[in-house]
Amino acid sequence: MVRTILALMKKEFLQVFRDRNMLRMIFIMPIFQLILLGYVASTDVKLISTAVYDHDRSELSREYVRSLSAGEYFITDAPSIPLLEAERGFKENKYEAVLIIPDGFSNDLEQSKSVDVGFMVDGTNANSASIALGYASLMTRQFNERVTGFSPPIKLTQRKLFNPEGESVYYMVPGIVALLLTMITAMLSAMAIVREREIGTLEQLMVTPIRTPALILGKTIPFALIGFVEISLALFVGIMWFKIPFAGSWVLLYSLAFLYLFTTLGTGMFISTISTTQQQAMFFTWFFAMFAIMTSGFFAPIANMPKSIQYLTYLNPLRYFMTTVRGIMMKGASLDVLYPEVIAMIIFGLAIFTFSWMRFSKRVK
Amino acid sequence: MHKIRYIAGKEVRHILRDSRSLMIAILMPILMTFVYGYAINLDTKNIRLAVLDFDRSVDSRELASRFYNSGYFLKPQVPPALSDPEKILRSGQAHAVLVIRAGLARALTNFTDYELGLLVDGADANVAAATGSYSNIMVASFLEDRMPYGFEVPGVRISQQVLYNSNLESSHFFVPGLIAIILMMISAMLTSVTIAREKETGTMEQLLTSPVTPRQIIIGKVLPYIALALLDAVLVIIFAMFHFGVPFAGSMLLLLFFGLIYVAAALSLGILISTLVSTQQLAMMMAQLTTVLPSVMLSGYIFEIKNMPAVLRYVSYLVPARYFIRIIRGVMLKGSDLSVLWGEAVFLVILAVVLLAIATKRFQLKIG
Repeated sequence: MVRTILALMKKEFLQVFRDRNMLRMIFIMPIFQLILLGYVASTDVKLISTAVYDHDRSELSREYVRSLSAGEYFITDAPSIPLLEAERGFKENKYEAVLIIPDGFSNDLEQSKSVDVGFMVDGTNANSASIALGYASLMTRQFNERVTGFSPPIKLTQRKLFNPEGESVYYMVPGIVALLLTMITAMLSAMAIVREREIGTLEQLMVTPIRTPALILGKTIPFALIGFVEISLALFVGIMWFKIPFAGSWVLLYSLAFLYLFTTLGTGMFISTISTTQQQAMFFTWFFAMFAIMTSGFFAPIANMPKSIQYLTYLNPLRYFMTTVRGIMMKGASLDVLYPEVIAMIIFGLAIFTFSWMRFSKRVK
Repeated sequence: MHKIRYIAGKEVRHILRDSRSLMIAILMPILMTFVYGYAINLDTKNIRLAVLDFDRSVDSRELASRFYNSGYFLKPQVPPALSDPEKILRSGQAHAVLVIRAGLARALTNFTDYELGLLVDGADANVAAATGSYSNIMVASFLEDRMPYGFEVPGVRISQQVLYNSNLESSHFFVPGLIAIILMMISAMLTSVTIAREKETGTMEQLLTSPVTPRQIIIGKVLPYIALALLDAVLVIIFAMFHFGVPFAGSMLLLLFFGLIYVAAALSLGILISTLVSTQQLAMMMAQLTTVLPSVMLSGYIFEIKNMPAVLRYVSYLVPARYFIRIIRGVMLKGSDLSVLWGEAVFLVILAVVLLAIATKRFQLKIG
C-alpha cells in the first residue's frame, strides 16, 4: 500500500516538474500575484484631491486650509475652475472634494462665534467619501481647539492594537496565504484526476492492482506537499519583502493548514467527479474559489454584508481558515481563542473529504 | 460573408451544445454580480463594540447606548467579561473596546478633564479608521447635548454635502465596475480557449485547408462571443439597476457603444493569447493572468490607482478596464457624457485598435 502510494506520488511529481509551464503556474504566478496584491491592495484613503474656494482670503482661512492638508489626507492644489462649474470638475475626476470658505470666516472666529464651511464630496466611492468626511471633521476639531482655545473637557483617546501603523498589506498578505493554499491544492488535485480521465489513463490505472484508497492518497498527498511549499514561499516573501510581523506560533499555523487541507483536497476530488474535461474542472474550481473568496471576508468585512449572506458565510470553510491565518499572524492568537474555527474546520474537513471519497470510489467502480 | 456565417454558426452550436459552459457564461455573471455586489461592501457598519463600564452611572449608560443606537456599532454576541480588553480583541468577539473609567458623571457636572479610552483592533486598517472616526463623532455629539442651553461652541463647523451617491452605498460603486470585469472574463477567456481548442483537437488545420481566410476564421469565431458578452453586460446592468438600485443617470446608447469598443479590445487580447499557447489549460491560465487579474487589481475597481507605487500606476495605463470602469461609473452614476469622458474614450479606442492590429497580425503569421 505504502509502496504503491509512493510510486503514484513519484509519478505525480514527475508530471508536475516535467512541465515547465505547470511549474511556472504553480510557483511563480502565485508569488507574482502576492507581490502585486501586496502593493496594490491598499484600501487606505489618502491624497484626496480637493478644490478650495476661499472667499475670506485671510491669514486664518489659509491656516485652516493648511491644517486640512497636513498629514497627506487632503491635497489642496486642485485646479481652480469657477465655482458654478464645480460639478464638471467632479465629473472629469479632477477632484473628489470641494471646500468653500465663506466671506467673514476670520471675523466670526475672532469673535468666538461659530462659522459654517461648505464641504462637498464625490459620493461615487462611498467608502472613501465617508472616510474623507471623517478626516475633515477631525482636522477641523483640532484646528478649532488650537484657534479658539476651547476644548471639550472629555476626550477620547484611542489606541490601536495589532496593526497600529494601519498598513493594509499586513492584513492582505495573511489573507493571500489562505487563498493560495485553497486555490492551488483544490485546482491541482482536481485537474490531475480529470487529466487521467481525459487521456484515458484512469482506466489503465483501474485495471492495475492499485486500490482506490491508494489511488486517492497518491493523487492528493503530492498536492498537499506542494501546498505547504506554496504557503511557505508566500510567507517568506511576505515577511522578507513586505516586512510583515508574525506574532503567533508557526507550528500552530502549519498544523491548522494541514487540517484545512482535508477540505480543499476533498473539494478538488469532488470537482473531479463532476467534470469530464480539464476545462470544466478549471471552470468549476474557479467558480467555487470565487464564491469562497468573496464570502470569506478577504476583501471586505463579513459584518458589512446583509444578514442572509452572513449566514451563508458560515458554510464557507475558507472563512474559518482566513480568520485563523490572520489571527495567528497578526494577533498572535492561539487555540484558546481559535477553537471555534478549529472545530468548524474539523467538521468541514471530515464531511467534505469523506463525501468526496465515497463519490470518487463509486465513480471509479 | 457567408463563410463567416458558417464559422459563426459552428461556434454558436459549440457554445449551445456544451451546456455546462453555457451555464457558466450566462449564470456566472449574474451570480457574480450578486455575490460581489454584497460581498465587496466597504461601508463599515455593524462594528462589534464592547463597552467596559466602570462608571456605572446614568451618563455612562447613555454614552454606551448612543454608540449602539447610531447604526454603526453592535453589541458583541457574547457579553464581555470585565477583564482583559486585549483578549476581547484577540478573540475577535469585538473589534473595539470602549473603556469608561469611573468618574465620567463627576467630570460632566464639574467640567473637569476626563479621558475615555478606546481600544481598536487595527488588523483591518479600513475598519479601524472608520471605527475611530465614528467614535469621535459619537463622543462629540454626546458632549454637545450636555452643553448648557444656548451655549454655542465656537469654531468652524462643516456643513457637508455628498454628490451623486448621497446615501453612500458602496454597491453603487462596485457593481458598475464589475461589468467591466465580467466582459473581460467572458471575451478574453472564452475566445482564447475556443481557438486553443481547435488547435488542441487538430481541427484548426482542417479549417485552414478549407477555403476560408484566417481573417474570416477570426471574425466568425469572435462574433458569437461579442453577442454573448453584450448579452451578459445588459443582464448585469438590469440586475444592478433593479436588484441593487444602482441609478442610470446617463445614456445607455453611449455605454453600449463604449462597451463594444472595450469588448473588441478584450477579444483581441483573447486572440493574442491563443496565438501564444497550444493548450486550453494554458490559454485559460494565461487569460486569467494577463486579463482578469489586471482588470481586477490595476483598474481602480477595488483599489485606488493613486495609492499604487509609480511603476504600477504606469502599467495601469495599459489596462483597458481602467478606462472602461471610469466610463461606466461616469455614465451610470454621474450622468457624464463625451464632453467629460473624451480622454478615457480616446485611450480606450487607441488600445483597442493597437491590440486588434497586433492580434490579427500575429494570428496570420502563426497560421501562414
